[in-house]
Amino acid sequence: MIKESHREPRQSAIDNRQSTIPLYVAAALLSLVGLGDAVYLTVQHLTGQSVPCSVTSGCEEVLTSSYAAFSGIPLAAVGAAAYFSVFSLATLAVFGYRTAGLLLRPLVAVMVLVSLWLFYLQAFVIRAFCQFCLLSAAITIALMIIVLVAWKKGS
Amino acid sequence: MKRLLPFIIILVVLGVAIGSVVYMTKPQAQPNANASPSPVGPKPSPTQAPVKTGVPGADPPHTMGPENAPVKIEEFGDFECPPCGLFHPILKQMHQEFGDKLHITFREFPLPTHNHAIPAASAAEAAGMQGKFWEMHALIFENQNTWKTEFDVRPVFEGYAKRIGLDVERFKRDVNSDRVEQRIFLDGKRARSMDVNSTPTVFLNGREVPFQSLPADTLRVLIDNELRAAGTK
Repeated sequence: MIKESHREPRQSAIDNRQSTIPLYVAAALLSLVGLGDAVYLTVQHLTGQSVPCSVTSGCEEVLTSSYAAFSGIPLAAVGAAAYFSVFSLATLAVFGYRTAGLLLRPLVAVMVLVSLWLFYLQAFVIRAFCQFCLLSAAITIALMIIVLVAWKKGS
Repeated sequence: MKRLLPFIIILVVLGVAIGSVVYMTKPQAQPNANASPSPVGPKPSPTQAPVKTGVPGADPPHTMGPENAPVKIEEFGDFECPPCGLFHPILKQMHQEFGDKLHITFREFPLPTHNHAIPAASAAEAAGMQGKFWEMHALIFENQNTWKTEFDVRPVFEGYAKRIGLDVERFKRDVNSDRVEQRIFLDGKRARSMDVNSTPTVFLNGREVPFQSLPADTLRVLIDNELRAAGTK
């Protein structure tokens, strides 16, 4: 009897953890897309002005704006580092490192706030949208949803 | 091994990410490798692109070089667009190198994404009404980084007008004139009729030059090709 009652919560904890694995796999894959996007933007930023200005895209405008770098570091590179961190933590979470899953929460929260700020800058200050920056914002929002679902399932 | 697997995956991704940044930020080696082969062999050529005539733009256009030059370059540009600013010295260099063999036309194509593109185009056109389009064109492009961050660019361009010896009062009137507006509009119509939707878009004897071929080294080869085809070299 005592044995039973001991086993049950443990079993359900393992079940919970199992059920979050696909979520962390999805988070890892999404962050890879984000990483690719951020790496592309970093390259665009570093090689500078290698894309023509276009009627439809505001990437040139956004990437050459004064908001594209933060004390000399291209924002896209910061984004790449953030996506790489998400990827690492999500991968570790898939392999059962619980702390990694926990650390994902504050990291993704900060990324969402930064993405919102950058979206505001594009919409109201620079008044030009860059599709690749918008893609990054969309990925961050998707990551937030995944992390929230995993949080709910894991607890 | 299983314990190490996540760390191996992470390291591989890190390696690929850093590797691709390093690889792609070294473009110098590539265009040169494409552009440097013997000047006689097959070359990157815009002749694949169809010849476009389009509807006429502003008349008379702003041109440099003789009307009957064997090679004609037409640029659709936006004064606030950074790559156009980079292309300006390249075109100037081509003008110096090829002299009378090259006829250059500049068309206004201010993009809606740039706040100061229309005032800049208007300033150049207004200077053109006093016969100094190219002088203003050069000043605006060469100082692009100075004025593009200004809130109000008009005083800056009036300063340039004074510097190149224009009648500043007339310049101020001309900037807002219907004629200037009409010229920009007509150049824009021509741009649209030739499917131009980005700047700088450059046509070499009516054929669009790919953006990647606009560096001096590649553009020079393309102009040489055209000269050879025209039998003047």
